[in-house]
Amino acid sequence: MLEVQKIDVAYGDAPALWDVSLVVGRGELVAVVGPNGAGKTTLVNAIAQLLPIRGGRLRLDGSDVTGIGARDLCQRGVALVPEGRRLFASMTVEENLELGCYRREARRFHDESLARVYGLFPILRERRRQPAGTLSGGQQQMVSIGRALMARPRLLLIDEPSLGLAPSVTQQVFDVIRAIHGEGVSILLIEQNAAQALALAERAYVLEGGRVAADGPTVELLAQPHIRIAYLGEDVDAPPAASR
Amino acid sequence: MPSATLLAQSLLSGIFIGGLYGLMGLGLSLFWRYLRLINLAHFALAFLAAYLTYQFVGVLGWHPVVAIIAIVPAFFVIGAAIQALFLRFAISEFASLLVTFGMTVIVESLIQWYWTADFRRLELGHDGGSLRVGPLFVPVTEALLLVVTTVVCAATWAWLHFTYAGKALRASAEDRDIAAAFGVDHRRLALVLAGACVAYAALAGAFFALIFTLTPAQIFAWMGVIFAVVILGGLGNPLGVLAAGLAIGVSEALTMAVTAPTWAPLVSFSLLILVLVLRPSRL
Amino acid sequence: MRRRSGPIALVAATAALALLPLLRPPAFYESFLYLTFLWIALATSWNILSGYSGYFSFGHGAFYGAGVYTTAALAARFEVPFVWTLPAAGLVAALLGFAVGAVVFRVRRLRGELFALLTLAVTFVLATVVLNTPIDGGPGVFLSGVAVPKVYGTTASTIYLFGLGAAAAAVAAAWAVQHSRLGLALFAISDDEDAAQVMGVPAYRAKLAALCISCFLAGVAGGIHALFVTYVTVAETFSITVPLFVILMSVVGGARHWLGPTLGAVFITALTYAFVGGEWAVPGRAVIGLILILVILFLPHGAMGFAARRAHRRPPRLVAASAGANPRRLAVGSGPRDAVLLRCNDVHLTFRGVRALAGVNLDVRAGEILGLVGPNGSGKSTLVNTISGYYRPDTGRILLGQTDLAATAAHRIAHLGVARTFQIPRPFPRLTVLDNVAVAALFGGGRLDWVAAQREARYWLDFVGLAKHALAPPLELNLHQRKFLELARALASVPQLVLLDEVLSGLTPAEVTNALALIREINARGATIVFIEHNMRAVLALTHRLVVLNHGQVIAEGAPHSVVRQPAVVTAYLGTAHA
Repeated sequence: MLEVQKIDVAYGDAPALWDVSLVVGRGELVAVVGPNGAGKTTLVNAIAQLLPIRGGRLRLDGSDVTGIGARDLCQRGVALVPEGRRLFASMTVEENLELGCYRREARRFHDESLARVYGLFPILRERRRQPAGTLSGGQQQMVSIGRALMARPRLLLIDEPSLGLAPSVTQQVFDVIRAIHGEGVSILLIEQNAAQALALAERAYVLEGGRVAADGPTVELLAQPHIRIAYLGEDVDAPPAASR
Repeated sequence: MPSATLLAQSLLSGIFIGGLYGLMGLGLSLFWRYLRLINLAHFALAFLAAYLTYQFVGVLGWHPVVAIIAIVPAFFVIGAAIQALFLRFAISEFASLLVTFGMTVIVESLIQWYWTADFRRLELGHDGGSLRVGPLFVPVTEALLLVVTTVVCAATWAWLHFTYAGKALRASAEDRDIAAAFGVDHRRLALVLAGACVAYAALAGAFFALIFTLTPAQIFAWMGVIFAVVILGGLGNPLGVLAAGLAIGVSEALTMAVTAPTWAPLVSFSLLILVLVLRPSRL
Repeated sequence: MRRRSGPIALVAATAALALLPLLRPPAFYESFLYLTFLWIALATSWNILSGYSGYFSFGHGAFYGAGVYTTAALAARFEVPFVWTLPAAGLVAALLGFAVGAVVFRVRRLRGELFALLTLAVTFVLATVVLNTPIDGGPGVFLSGVAVPKVYGTTASTIYLFGLGAAAAAVAAAWAVQHSRLGLALFAISDDEDAAQVMGVPAYRAKLAALCISCFLAGVAGGIHALFVTYVTVAETFSITVPLFVILMSVVGGARHWLGPTLGAVFITALTYAFVGGEWAVPGRAVIGLILILVILFLPHGAMGFAARRAHRRPPRLVAASAGANPRRLAVGSGPRDAVLLRCNDVHLTFRGVRALAGVNLDVRAGEILGLVGPNGSGKSTLVNTISGYYRPDTGRILLGQTDLAATAAHRIAHLGVARTFQIPRPFPRLTVLDNVAVAALFGGGRLDWVAAQREARYWLDFVGLAKHALAPPLELNLHQRKFLELARALASVPQLVLLDEVLSGLTPAEVTNALALIREINARGATIVFIEHNMRAVLALTHRLVVLNHGQVIAEGAPHSVVRQPAVVTAYLGTAHA
C-alpha cells in the first residue's frame, strides 16, 4: 500500500536520512524502531509531507505521491498521529476530534466516528469540553489517536506514541493500537520502545544514523544483535569488552 | 456631583460609543490573533469607508443602507487583497506593523487630498431622531449601531465555534502544519477572514460617518483606544472585544461626566498598561 | 572594530556646519538644516535602544515631549536660563525612561509588538496628564519671552547651533555605543535574547542603559525644539508624528548602524520639504508611506544594511595569526581533580503537566568527561537547560561550589563559568562569526576586556578550525561548522564546566571522529565536560563516567561499559514486552 523508495531527506543542509526504503502492505502493522537521533521522526514527517523529500519517491497504492502536500495526502486517506501529540491545545477535546474529520469524505461519518472514538476512550467523553492542553499526557495521546481515527484513514502513521508517558499508560496506548489494527487499518508505527513495538508488529525496520540497519519479520530481528547495538552502542548480551 | 439623569445619560452614551469601539476593534483583533498580523491600515480603511459613506449619502443623496451595501463588500475584497500581499511576501508579525503603517499614511493622504482636512458632517433629515425612554434620550442610529455590533460579534463568535471553517481557522492559527495534515486550507481561510475583518472595519466606518464629524486626524487619534480595547478584550475573542469596548466606553463617559472630558484617555491607557504589564500572557 | 574614520568625519562635518551661519545663507536654509538636525537627533536617539536591541518603542514622543515641557515650564514659568533647562530636560526624560524601563523590562513576555503598544500607551497617558495639570493646562505654553544667548548675532543661529550640537551628540553616542560592549550586548539581545543571557549578557541592565541614553538625548532635543517653535501645545508635541517618523527614518536608513538614522532623517526631511508647498504636501505624504512599504518589503535592513551586505561580498581580510602558540589552559585553579564540581540535589521540574525532572541527584567531578544519556523524553536537555539557568527548577538545589544555581539568574550562572552549547545551534545571525565568539569572551566567565576578548575569540576560532570564516555571517556555515562555532563560543567564556548538548547529532562519521578528538583536547586542558548524546558508540568511546536518566530520574551511574549492561538501563532503552 505504502512504498517508500530510497528517499533522502535533509534539514536544511544537514542530511538526516539516506537511501531509506520501506513497504507497508494493506492491513499490516509495520514498526520502525531505532535509537533517538536515528531519523525515525524525520522519516514519518517526510512521508506525511511535512518535510520535503530530496531524492527517491513515495508511492501510495501504486501512484506517485512524492511532494503532493499534506492536505492532498490527507484526502487520500492517510492520517497522522504526530510525535508529541501536537494537539490544538486551546481548543476543546471534542473540537480537536472534529478537526480530524475535516476532510469531506470523513465529515459525513462525523457522528459515527465520534461514537467509535468515545467507545475506545471513554474518559474523553467525560472531558469533551475541556481544553485539550489541560489533559494529562496519556489522555492527550488518546485525543491525538482519536483525532486521526476521525479521518477514517486507510493508513495510520503513528509517531512515538509512548513518548513522555508513564509505563502503565503506555500499555493502554499500545492495546488501543492493537485494537485499531484488528479493525483492518494499516499502520506504520514509529517507536523508540523497541520491545513493545516488536511485540505488536509483524515486520519491522531498524533505523540507525539515518539508514536502515536491519529489517525483516520481528521474530528474526529479536534474535539478532542489531537492535541492541543500535540502542546501546554495543552488543550488551555479549561478554563485556576489556575496560579502558 | 452630576445628577442621576446626567449620569444615566452619560452611561448610555458610553454604552453606545462602546459599541462602536467594539465593532472597530473586532476586525483588528481577529486579524491579529488568527492571521498573526497587526493591521494598522484597519483604521485608515475604516475612515475611508466613513468618507465614502459621507460622499454617497451626503453628496450623492443615496440611502444609508444602500451605501453600506455598496461599500462593505468592496472592502471585503480589499481586505483579501491585503492578505494576499502579506502571504506573497511572507511578512512577519512585526514587519506587518510597519507595512500597514505605510498603507495608513497613503490612505490618509488620499483622503485628505480628495476631501481636504475640513470637517465633514452628514446632515441627516430622517434617521437622526431620538427616542425618549423616561428622562433619557436614546439616539436611534446609535442604538441601531449597538444592535448591529452585538449581532456581528455574536455571529462571528458562533462562526468560530460552531462551524467547520471557524474551527479550522482556529486550529490553523495554532499549528498550521498539523491542521494542513488534516486537510485545512489555510490560505483560503486567511483570505476570507482578512476580507471579513476589513469589511467589519468598513461597517464601523459607515456608522461613524452617520454619527460623528469626520476629519483625517481621527485616524490616528482612534488607534490608541482601539488597541486598548483589543488587548483588554483578549485577542481573537469577539465577545471579549465587545465587552472591553463597552467597559472602556462607559468608564470614559463616566470619567468625562465626573471630571473634565480631557481626562478620559487616561482610563483606557492606564488599563492597557496595567494589563500589558501584569498579564502579558493574554496574547 | 575601532575604526577612526567615523568619528573624524563626524567632527569635521560638525565643525563645517557650525561655521555655516557665518556665510549668512538665506533663513530658509538655517531652518531646514535645523529641522534636519532635530530629526537626526531624535531618530538616532531612538535607534540606540530600538534599532540596536530590537525593542521597537512607539513612545519616543513621550520622552521628547517630557523634554519639551521641562524646558517650557522651567524657562517660561520659572525663568531659568535657557541653557540650563536643557540638561534638566534630558534628565527628566531619562528618569521617565528609567521608570518605564525598570518595570517593563522585568516582564519576560513583553517583547516585540507588546513593547511597542505599551510605549504608545505611555505617550497618551503622559499627554493626558500634561494637558490636565498646570504643566500645560490646555492653552499651551508661550516661550517667546525667553531670553536666548545670541551667537553669531541672531537667536535663530543659536538655535541652529544647539540643534547641531544635539545631533552631533546623538550620533557620537550612537557610534560609541555601537563600538562598545553595550552595543554588542544590544545586538546579541536583538538576535536572540535568551541565548545572550545564557552567555552572560546582563540583558536587563543593557536595555535600561540604552533606554536612558536614548531618552536623555530625546529630552534635550525636545528642549531645544521648544525654543524653536516658541509656542508648545500638547496636541502638537504628543502627536503621532514623532514616534512614527523616527521609526520610519531609522528603518529606511538602516537600524543597526550608527549612521543609518542620519541618512534616513536627511532623506525624509528633504522629501517632506520638497513637498511642503501647496498641492504637493498631501500626495507627498503618500509617497513617504509608499517608500516605507517598499523598504520593508525589499530592503528590510535599510540603506546602511544593504551597503554593509555589499561590502561583505568582498573576500574577508585574512585574520591575523592566532595569538601565541601556548595552548590555553581552561579552568585554571578550579580545585583538585575528582573533587565534586557540581552537585544536583533532588531537582524537580514540572511543566505543562509533564514531570520533566522528578528528583535528579547527580555529581559532576572536576576534570572528568561525564556522559549523560537516556531515552527520548528522559529529561537530559531539560536538565542542561536548568543547570544553565534557562529554566528554574521547582524544588531542589544545584550547587556549584557554594552557589546554588537554582536561585541564580542565567547571566550570573554564565559568569560563574558554566558554558553550554545548544542542541540546534543558535548563533546570533546578524553578528559575524568572530563577534559571536567575542560576546562569550566579553560576558562569560572570563569577563575579559575588549582587546583581550577579541584575542581570545580569534584563538578559539582557530582551535576549532573556523579561523578563515571569522568575518562571515553564521548562516554561511554548514551544520558541522555551526556546531563548532557553538563550541568555540562555549570555550571563549573561559568555563570551568562545559555542557555539550547533542553536539554530534547530524554529523557524518568522519565529522564525529573529528569532534571527539577536539572534545578530548578540551578536557585535557582542564575543562570539565558534561556530554549529552544519543550516539552511544561515541559515548562509550569518550566518557569517563556515565549517568543514565529515565523519566526524569537517574537510574544508573558508573563506568560506561558496565552501566550499559545493567538491566534497568537495557529495559529503559529497549522497553519491556508485555504479553
